[in-house]
Amino acid sequence: MTAPASLYAPRPCRLLTVSGLTPQEKLFRLQLVDGSSLGHQPGQFIQLSIPGLTEAPISVANSPTRGTVFELAVRRAGRLTGALHKLAPGALIGIRGPFGRPFQLDALRGKQLLLIAGGCGLAPLRSLIQYCQDRPEEFAAVHILYGARSPADLLFKDDLAAWQRSERLDCRYTVDRIPADSCYDGETGLLPRLLSQLELDPANCSAVLVGPPPMYRPVIAELRRLGLSGERRIMLSLERQMRCGVGKCGHCSIEHLTCCSDGPVFWLEEVEALRGAL
Amino acid sequence: MLKRLEEKDFLCLLERIAERWQLLVPQRMSDGSRLLLPWQGGLPVLAGPPLQRKPTEVFFPQLELLLELDDAGGVALPNPPEKPPALLGLDHLDLAGIAFLDRFFLSPPTDDAYLRRRRGALLVGVSGLAGAQGETLPPLEGECDLELILAPDGLLAHPHTARGTELLEGFAEAAPDKLAALDRNATELLPEILLKAARLLQEERVPEDFWEEIAARCIACGGCNFACPTCSCFGVQDRTFGKRTERSRLWDSCQLDAFMREASGHNPLGTETLRTRRRIYHKLVADPLRWGEPGCVACGRCDRACPTGIGMFALCEELVRTCDRHGS
Repeated sequence: MTAPASLYAPRPCRLLTVSGLTPQEKLFRLQLVDGSSLGHQPGQFIQLSIPGLTEAPISVANSPTRGTVFELAVRRAGRLTGALHKLAPGALIGIRGPFGRPFQLDALRGKQLLLIAGGCGLAPLRSLIQYCQDRPEEFAAVHILYGARSPADLLFKDDLAAWQRSERLDCRYTVDRIPADSCYDGETGLLPRLLSQLELDPANCSAVLVGPPPMYRPVIAELRRLGLSGERRIMLSLERQMRCGVGKCGHCSIEHLTCCSDGPVFWLEEVEALRGAL
Repeated sequence: MLKRLEEKDFLCLLERIAERWQLLVPQRMSDGSRLLLPWQGGLPVLAGPPLQRKPTEVFFPQLELLLELDDAGGVALPNPPEKPPALLGLDHLDLAGIAFLDRFFLSPPTDDAYLRRRRGALLVGVSGLAGAQGETLPPLEGECDLELILAPDGLLAHPHTARGTELLEGFAEAAPDKLAALDRNATELLPEILLKAARLLQEERVPEDFWEEIAARCIACGGCNFACPTCSCFGVQDRTFGKRTERSRLWDSCQLDAFMREASGHNPLGTETLRTRRRIYHKLVADPLRWGEPGCVACGRCDRACPTGIGMFALCEELVRTCDRHGS
């Protein structure tokens, strides 16, 4: 065996804290063992590695402007994420990355931003939201629109409350349905409904969408109705089963594109006509 | 410089190669098929049916150790082979398959696991009267280090690289007219039927119900993918032994339901119809867009492997017939 210099070699990192977000999701704060920065940009992901359980792609949920600690919001969905949920602070895990094309910040600067997330999509979008908070001079205005299935499924409730209190951000969220025993008294309905409440300057507005596959088409239709047409106006991050993260394994291909390396962030016009993309 | 190889010269060449490389040569099996196997002495079977298994598996094997992990976060990579491989007896289609995988795995970011096996490898092609029924195989155009040419009156050899030239040093020269009796015209890689199918796919002229009919015949065995010399998709598996974990990759098939299924349950290739279309579209349309070349070298292995007759050739013939019937 020789010293590692491999696309596939994970780097060790230490689990610093674990906190619950919902009954299914936890937030993991991590740091590379060598103390270096992850070096990510908002919108990128890492491959999380646990020996014996292979790897899973996870979006980085905080901004690179927040120091060397990085955060992952992970839903318990299978064996690897189940094992991760059982880990305690101090545990060692591996990561590869960061990988993928990030949100195109150059194209967003100076614009009124519509940051739209559904479900777990708030995790990668939170990285961009924090970046906007830390660099307020770069953006004209920031609207955050978030939809979850139920009040219990809302991610980052403390952040949502803080963003709503912020004078620099306009944050709105909604849930699809309210259980009978809930004391939730916020908005209900699907995401496009939040869009119709906004006063936008469509000529100077860009949208960023991250969410589950069924979210894209109705939200895009509403954005177009509001006047966001033409190229480089709507950016979206697609979810796929990335296994290698470097464009080799084939599991995240979308026609001739590879989601892990050509994406996961795309301009709408790059993928809209591709079968199975949206 | 063209050389003439008598039987003793050819054996000498094999010995020269075997000194520095792990030499694999075509050998005939009891069922008449030929496989690339380690050279044990004697003459290889240069002429005959195409090699049963894809030669690209030497560089991208079905199961390959990527690395080892330990509990403390340590990572160790496998050592490269002591001797790089030498593949002898490759025809123009075998070499096209290797060139395709080289471009795929060695394009940045370079796949180090592929490079570990590919680095220093020697490729010896074959042309001339080496077809299954004695038909002429087309000349090779530099995709190999050394070209063996089966001519009517003996074996010739032509180097394409400095290594090839070095290996042929000392053998008798042959007059260029020794090739005169052979058809040395290069052929197009893809037959017309595949080119026509590719055009129909590019122009979105294939009716949807065509894919449904083909998909109904797919039994999802994955044989087409596993036989294909340019298929590169892989999954990853871990095996743990005490505190040590071996992480390996293994061939995967886009014809299997779980290929793209995500933890959320979302599956962009959630039906056999989508998966069948993807297999063909990927080779004939997506790969040319991505790599400038189709991902099919027309070797016919998927047609021979498919138990239900929907390999690339059979499917494309049916696709063209269907589109002709529809007037598209």
